[in-house]
Amino acid sequence: MIERSEQVRLAESLARQGRIAPAVAACYQALRVNERDPLAHCLLGGLMLAEGFCEQAARSAARAIELDQRCAAAYFVLGLAYDRMGGLWDRSILVWQQLAEVVPDLATAHVQLGEALAAASFADEAIDAWERALQIDPREPRAMYHLAVSALKREGMATALPGFRKAGELDPSQDDFFFALAGYDAEGLPAAAMSDIGPGIKSQLRAAHAFAANDELFKSSELIRSILDGHSDDVAALSLMAYLYLKQESVNEAMACSLRALTISTKTPTAVYALGAAFARRPALAAHASKLFSALTTMAPGQAMPHVLHAESLLGLQRYSAAGAAYRSALALDPGCVRALFGQAAVALTAGDHTAAAWAIRRAAYHDTRRRGYFWGPYDAAAEGGEQ
Amino acid sequence: MSTETDTGHATAGSDARRTPRRNARFPLGVNYYPLESETSGWEQWYAGDVEGDFAEFEAAGMTLVRIFISWKLFEPQVDRYSEQATERLRDIVDAAAAHGLRLIVCFFADDRHAELLDVSWGRDRDPRTDAYLIERECALVRRIVSDHRSDRAVFAWELGNEAFWCGFASGDELEAWAAALREAVREVDPDRPVMCAFDPETLFHESRVDGRRALGECEIVVSHPTMRYRTYAAEGPVTSPGSTHLDSFLLRAVGTRRPVLLDDIGAGTLEASHGEEAAALRCALYSGLMNGASGALARRWRDMATERRKPYFIDPYEAIVGLSDTEGHPKPAMRVLREFAGVLGHLDLRTYSLPHERVAVLIPSERRSPLPALASLYSPRSCLEAYVRVKEAHVPVTLAHEEEPFDPFAVLIVPSVTDLAGGTWERLASWVKGGGSLVFSYGGGEFGSEARELFGVDFLGHGGARARATCRVAQQGLLGQLEPFDVPADIPHFALLGAGTSTVVATDSAGSPLLTLNRYGQGRAVCVAAPLERVLGQSGLRTPPAEVQSFLRTLYGAVAGVTGCGPLVSCDAPEVEVALFAGEDDDVLFLLNHADRSLTANVGFVVPVATVTDIRGGSPAVVGGSSFGAPLEPHGVMVLRLCYA
Repeated sequence: MIERSEQVRLAESLARQGRIAPAVAACYQALRVNERDPLAHCLLGGLMLAEGFCEQAARSAARAIELDQRCAAAYFVLGLAYDRMGGLWDRSILVWQQLAEVVPDLATAHVQLGEALAAASFADEAIDAWERALQIDPREPRAMYHLAVSALKREGMATALPGFRKAGELDPSQDDFFFALAGYDAEGLPAAAMSDIGPGIKSQLRAAHAFAANDELFKSSELIRSILDGHSDDVAALSLMAYLYLKQESVNEAMACSLRALTISTKTPTAVYALGAAFARRPALAAHASKLFSALTTMAPGQAMPHVLHAESLLGLQRYSAAGAAYRSALALDPGCVRALFGQAAVALTAGDHTAAAWAIRRAAYHDTRRRGYFWGPYDAAAEGGEQ
Repeated sequence: MSTETDTGHATAGSDARRTPRRNARFPLGVNYYPLESETSGWEQWYAGDVEGDFAEFEAAGMTLVRIFISWKLFEPQVDRYSEQATERLRDIVDAAAAHGLRLIVCFFADDRHAELLDVSWGRDRDPRTDAYLIERECALVRRIVSDHRSDRAVFAWELGNEAFWCGFASGDELEAWAAALREAVREVDPDRPVMCAFDPETLFHESRVDGRRALGECEIVVSHPTMRYRTYAAEGPVTSPGSTHLDSFLLRAVGTRRPVLLDDIGAGTLEASHGEEAAALRCALYSGLMNGASGALARRWRDMATERRKPYFIDPYEAIVGLSDTEGHPKPAMRVLREFAGVLGHLDLRTYSLPHERVAVLIPSERRSPLPALASLYSPRSCLEAYVRVKEAHVPVTLAHEEEPFDPFAVLIVPSVTDLAGGTWERLASWVKGGGSLVFSYGGGEFGSEARELFGVDFLGHGGARARATCRVAQQGLLGQLEPFDVPADIPHFALLGAGTSTVVATDSAGSPLLTLNRYGQGRAVCVAAPLERVLGQSGLRTPPAEVQSFLRTLYGAVAGVTGCGPLVSCDAPEVEVALFAGEDDDVLFLLNHADRSLTANVGFVVPVATVTDIRGGSPAVVGGSSFGAPLEPHGVMVLRLCYA
């Protein structure tokens, strides 16, 4: 365990509040007290990287590694700084390899390693790295996106498209979108015990959505069936049932449930979503999926995900410029939408614009790193004395 | 700056294969490195076909070539000079003279391929600080200058390249070395320009060494973005808008009245395609000319033949991307350079001149404050953003340093500043009272009594960071047609202001003033309560909010307009940079598209235009009105001679 000085604790606290300048000053203060404090160097590097000052970040992180060779957070900072500085792929590759040795079961290290290898034009080695990341964590969406992009470069869209769909399914944002359409915040839906669920349909529906959001699909199905026994025309229940079937790869059943919901009410966004997602699983029905997702963009204004889904269906129809426009719409609503950025890279590749594709991928990686908060996890682990 | 080279023959009527007429008043050329392949040894210094290459330079319309001396080759043993090296340099100088080229001779260049400085007898001593080595360096300089002082082909003596200057640990050491070497040149050649080929801004960024005092003695200074600086200041592809404005930004930042040579221009890494290399070079060349550069040097003549590297490695100062490929076949960038030379050949810079810029973005002295003050790192990005936004408003703009006098300017933009040096607020207040217009955006820190009085506001405290940028327009038309917005943005600071004597032009969502205008004496003081330029500058890999960009563009344009220094030429495309070279009977209009898409720029003039003609020749097109549309390709350029009705 690394002893945290008072100044480092202060810097951490300021950094977590987003008060960068005083946090940096506190780090300098900590280093005046003890220049050999790896946490202070590491934190300073993280702060500099957050502000986009990559050279300063790299210097601090390198010093932190010098002082503590098992400081995973410092490797993160150093690797990300080298990646952003560009042209330093040899150093970047080395850093990600070292991180993979320090924390062998960290899928992200292999994802990053793959990105550095790809940027250095080592395509085969990059694919190996991403496949290794998926072996460690089969639910790693960024590795899947990269494999899809590689397939696109090598064999074209037909081969790549299932990869993009699979990556999209792994990306948690699509499930969050379904629950948002249903009127729930997925993160604020804790699954309750069956015995605690109230008798009313409203509380039962909420509980069913909560089970679904927490991957307790059988409990959710059970509850939905009991709702449908009494209220066979409940469109919310039918839509959730369709969603649950989709999660279990039962596409025909999902279609049946969502169609049933839409015959009762055509204005049910969750049913439109479920039917579109079901159609999207059948390549021959891509045109239908495209129409449904297009409709969903007007039913859920201000949401990026319908535009992304629409764009992906357009990719399936080989309407690349239209897909590009849909991705742009998604990014206008959510500039940090990782899935849209990877999609934009795919569209750029179909137009032969490799620079735009590389830039979109770099931005996607940046936003993915940011949304997952990669720095604080390993930093806290280092501060607590354990590995991540 | 003039190379006084022969003017060649004209191409009016336009046979593209003919040599473009050369413009002695704007030297155009290339860095000519000693080695063309990584496998070549240091002793193969300029062992290639120099004569043939110089013939190609001449054919392309170039007038200027930078060559690099190899100390290792010239002085293999202490005080024993190589006759072979001396003769080879003589041949180079003769070849240059034969082709009407002028040479910049760089004495001490750090180049990891050619090992120019690695004298074996120097051991591990530092050539920048070791007294004995400096003595030997002076002797070498005296010898070479003495050999060539009567050669007209030598245009200037250059003490070192930026990779070399970056090795200094302090400004004092740098200045002492420069003074010693300059003195050595002057002992033999009192007339020719002496240069120190570093850009003060990029050098400071790399080494935190302030080299500006050493430049004080130089007759010509240089400006260039290094690859690292480009990544720092304008992250993104080399053809992204921030990046394509960076060359002119640094050119303006040099801020001297001496000629500025825009050197090392063009793409620096192999990551860009040939098309992107050409686009980057085009933007740098034209925007350099449009912003008052006195000459331009492309980064490299021929691609360095590199070995297959596993993994690929790029040194930050390594120049490996040239105008032609390793086989010598010209790349699209070469065509761009030729075309530019053709345009230059038809632009008489004695007759046409750019207007004096009366709008300036102020580079605060906190740029040079030491860490942990992050202002030194935020500042260049904020200034670049402000500069680009003023450019987008088509207002002629330059950069000024805080310590310089403000009198030459009518509008000053002070972007996202945390603190100004002591006395600056008083100087600003006096300048505004005399009729100047100040646009200041709050960058955190205190809002002192001078600032409160100048802006006519009460400072109620620091409002903290915000996740959204919101603007509600309270007084439409007072500072242009501002559009309200509410967008996600990381706002690090927000000054809580009380209106006081100022007029609130816009507020945030809670009604707190965002933009205020105060009449102070005969001038105006405009305050923006949040560091919006920093928000844009810090966006990096994120997408900068277009609404904030538009807000600043409108604000700057409006303030310049009401102060009487608005655009000379109106243009409806913000991405298009406009420059008007005014002549006696006619003007020359430059339009440069910084966007990566085709567009038509509708330009308007106060006086009706009778005809427009491509500067390189062709039939005049009748306009007969005060506006016309100019179609521009992605990163395309149009240069038109305007005759007024």
